[in-house]
Amino acid sequence: MAENRGGSAQSLHLKPEWEMDPAEYTLRKRLPRKLPKRRNDIYINMKTNFRTQLTRCQKLLDSGQFTDICIHGLGLAVHRAINIALQLHANSFGELQISANTSTVELVDDLEPEVDHVEPITQIRSNSAIHIRVFHAASKA
Amino acid sequence: MSGAKGRKYEKKMKHQPTSVTFHTGDPGVSSSKNYNGAGAQQQERKYGGIQPQRDQPWTPSSSFKHYHEQSHYRDGQTSQGFPKYITATTFAQARAAEVKAMLKAVSNKNSNSQVFQALPKHMRRRAMSSNVKRIPRRLRAIAKRELEKASQQKKEQSKNKSRKARRRHGNLLLEFNRRQRKNLWLETHIWHAKRFHMVKKWGYCLGDKPTSKCYRACYRAMTKHCLLQDLSYYCCLELTGGENELLKALARLTNRETGLTFAAVGCLSGKKQGSLVLYKAEKYPLEPLGPVTFLWKPKKMSEDRQLWIWFHPALKQDLIPQLKTVCQCGEPVVQSIPLPEPSTVVSTVEEMPEPVSVGSKRKRKDGTPLEEITVKKFIREKTSPTLIPACWKSQTTGIVLRDLTLEILRYRLIGPLSHSVLSDALYPASLCKIFHSQHEKHCSWWPEYCNEDNLFLHERQQNLFQLLRGIASPAEISAGTVLGLVVDDPRLTLPRKRTKSMPNLSMLPDFEKVRQLTVEGITDETSASPIWDQAVRDDVTRSKISEQELNRMKMEILVPGSRLDLGAKESKIPILLIHQSGKLTGQECLGWGSGWDILIPKGWGMAFWISLIYRGARAGGLQEGLKHSQHKGTAHFPDDFPDCAAGMRFSGEQKKELLDKYKRRPPSKRPNYIKHGSVAPFLCPWQQLVEEWEMILKIEDERGVPEECRGALPAPESSGEQMSKGVKVKCADEEMKGSPGAADFSILRNRTVLKQISAWCLPTSGKGKRANCPASFSRQQIPSGAALLISAHNPRCLVWTRLSLLKKGSPTSHALICIPDPGDIQMLCADLTFCGPQEPKHKDHFKKKIKELKKKKLASSPGASCKVQGIGCSELPSKLISGLWPEPLPSITSHCTRVTIGFVLRGDFSLTAGCGEALGLVSVAGLLHMLSQQSSDRKGLVLVRNPASLQYRFARIMVEV
Repeated sequence: MAENRGGSAQSLHLKPEWEMDPAEYTLRKRLPRKLPKRRNDIYINMKTNFRTQLTRCQKLLDSGQFTDICIHGLGLAVHRAINIALQLHANSFGELQISANTSTVELVDDLEPEVDHVEPITQIRSNSAIHIRVFHAASKA
Repeated sequence: MSGAKGRKYEKKMKHQPTSVTFHTGDPGVSSSKNYNGAGAQQQERKYGGIQPQRDQPWTPSSSFKHYHEQSHYRDGQTSQGFPKYITATTFAQARAAEVKAMLKAVSNKNSNSQVFQALPKHMRRRAMSSNVKRIPRRLRAIAKRELEKASQQKKEQSKNKSRKARRRHGNLLLEFNRRQRKNLWLETHIWHAKRFHMVKKWGYCLGDKPTSKCYRACYRAMTKHCLLQDLSYYCCLELTGGENELLKALARLTNRETGLTFAAVGCLSGKKQGSLVLYKAEKYPLEPLGPVTFLWKPKKMSEDRQLWIWFHPALKQDLIPQLKTVCQCGEPVVQSIPLPEPSTVVSTVEEMPEPVSVGSKRKRKDGTPLEEITVKKFIREKTSPTLIPACWKSQTTGIVLRDLTLEILRYRLIGPLSHSVLSDALYPASLCKIFHSQHEKHCSWWPEYCNEDNLFLHERQQNLFQLLRGIASPAEISAGTVLGLVVDDPRLTLPRKRTKSMPNLSMLPDFEKVRQLTVEGITDETSASPIWDQAVRDDVTRSKISEQELNRMKMEILVPGSRLDLGAKESKIPILLIHQSGKLTGQECLGWGSGWDILIPKGWGMAFWISLIYRGARAGGLQEGLKHSQHKGTAHFPDDFPDCAAGMRFSGEQKKELLDKYKRRPPSKRPNYIKHGSVAPFLCPWQQLVEEWEMILKIEDERGVPEECRGALPAPESSGEQMSKGVKVKCADEEMKGSPGAADFSILRNRTVLKQISAWCLPTSGKGKRANCPASFSRQQIPSGAALLISAHNPRCLVWTRLSLLKKGSPTSHALICIPDPGDIQMLCADLTFCGPQEPKHKDHFKKKIKELKKKKLASSPGASCKVQGIGCSELPSKLISGLWPEPLPSITSHCTRVTIGFVLRGDFSLTAGCGEALGLVSVAGLLHMLSQQSSDRKGLVLVRNPASLQYRFARIMVEV
């Protein structure tokens, strides 16, 4: 999934300016929370080929089952989600419309202790996400 | 005649009498036979030399003429002297022999066929084998005799009781107990034996892999659904004593450099499970014992702490003596348990529903008290663990060591849907409504347990358990979390058919609470469970209602299919849920393969197993466990621990197995490993590898060649060649000493060093540089001093590495890991389709020797006098197997064109990564040597070559901490 580099580490138990000591802790990132997924939800990642993800969206739209699809991108994948939505828009010659929403996703980091006398810590870090709805122009009317 | 035809003919002729012809040395006799009609008479006439009277009516001239012509003609044909006469006696004898042989052939049919089988096709009838009257009358007598004989034989063979008697419950149990005298069965054994290939390992009968084709299905279950494994064969040791004493004793087995120890704060409170590698007392870094997981009982007011150590059964024989010495537990405690006490002697078989229900249609009066029957059953059970003292006590430290193997069962659920499977299968125990009716004998512990504090705790645990349903994947919970719970009898809520539990969207719990659970984790009170109490466990096992009883009660419900209400009789089972972390290291597929372990008191195995299976969990065996750890990128015990005693034993067995398999094929149908340049295709010579690399480093140090000037290849190769002799000498020395027991190498487990090496392995520029790694570890060019220091400190160390292949290929076990030439890397840069260099074919010098030996043997074998020589010959070839290097191996590092730094332990095409992946062990010295010479953007590139292939393939090496 997308890597999250920009988010400032916000400690839950300690002060925000607290710096992790690598001799005491190892940082382990947990996966973002997985939510139930409909069939017209598409989560964009950075590992799959861009063109493949684009065709997948296009196929879903062309299949006629759904009037709209939702494209989600988190962190590094935000710009790729935007790219895909814009490509879909451009390829459709005005038939498709897009509407974007942004949100903030809370991510959890584990700080695993390296030495015996410290407690394990869990941190919460925020990252930005985008949810783009792509829909047929006619369906909205 | 072709081979098959010839064999058929031989078979046919086998039963024919051999001397059909009567040899008189006279060909005329036989040739005369085809003489028409009166040939014999004529012959008699002519041989006898008597003029027959009967021929008189014929015209003498014509007859004479004819006779002359005939004789002339025959003379010309046979070109031998034609006998003028024959003697009647010899002639009659010859005929008699012929007739006799003919009769014998007719009367003596093929021995392995029955009478009716010898009949021609048109005379065969249905059911001839069983019904004598179907056979033609003239053969009936023989057939009858045959039939009787066959039935007698059958009766003699089966002296046993009838099948019905054998399948009777008690007899069946006896038989089962006899069969598990050597290898114990798990509670789910019969379920597994019907569906799995079973293997006998570590004193247990275990399911290896399902008989159905389900490699992918099991993988999918791990990734998307839920895979269930029975890990009850894992051993559990209980240590009881004061916290300080325990920690002090156990500290001798661990070392802080390898990470957390038993004293870790998070684990000590009991809310997390910890894992570590144990060493022999104060022997670190040499002589590791193996990996264990441990669990502290949550702290209460009382002083004594309880600790469970879970480990693999292969480790048991090494670990228990060590623990005994460390804890100073000398004398075994004789468990003062009377014989009919059922708790200690509950067998693993008793709870199987299938065998019990099958064929046990005995009528039993309903009035019989349940207790009596169960006790009766228990007495029949095996009592093997009572023979070995399973409890030791120390007088000085007060530590009690108790073996709880098979007392507590452990099931593992892997996969994202394990939450929904668990929450469907288990129902938190309903509260005890009738507080005062304690005269009921069943489930005595639950009413006692239900006081205010415990009820409050139970409610909190129940709430937490309900929250799990709302979490889509176990990867969202912090690793090692422990949750205690008391649940209802799972058999009461069993669905009628096998279902597949899916997360229910309409029943999503409160988001805030879920968030709190994932972030804050589980508080230590909620990880308490009555399962820690021996008395409760025994009570739960004893009070289980038998399957038969339950089914009878189910039958008697008024509304079929409704839930059975047992009231106070219903058992409440304390369990423990332990979170198992998924993939933690590396960048890809984080959290893959996470899941939960359930600990259940014994006796309840089958009830829970069926209940989980009916919720759509797929069962896996040992092979699936191996694959799970491989995809997860973790080492698997004992396969991947060649420095442990158990690992060494394992690899020895594996070598034997592979060698046997190899020898079964003819030399032309198996790879010639000498030609492929694979020195050790069955057993990786780690000892020799580390020794050779130590020597290489030494030679380089002596030369003092500066880092920059050192050519990539020539230095190690030449040095390798130099030292190969040295190593050989050394090997010989060691053989002389005859001390191959303890390994002189170890796997590097010092976390700081590992982290440093891991940082060095990553490419510092180019495509892969974004990989996150702790900033504190320098990612620049390796300072040569530090590298030398590390390799000097750990001269005989190996390090676990993960290899992922860049392009094609899937590595197999025992594949070589080599350093690429600068030329190889240039080729890779220039040509994107370049797969890797090829190893030139080696020459097999031993082939000739083997051939010569064979020839000698052949020459000597026919004569019995040469037998002594033959024995002398056969001693040599026992070591020489065609296609394999004989024992003193040549230098490993310099044997091929690329320098070897290590071997692959396990490898396969990884379905998670979509490319070949392997877990390998490389020499630390070799790895650092390689890394110091590679350019920054191509750092960590190695070559991997399978033992039966000449093709090298590029792979990226990673050290994951």
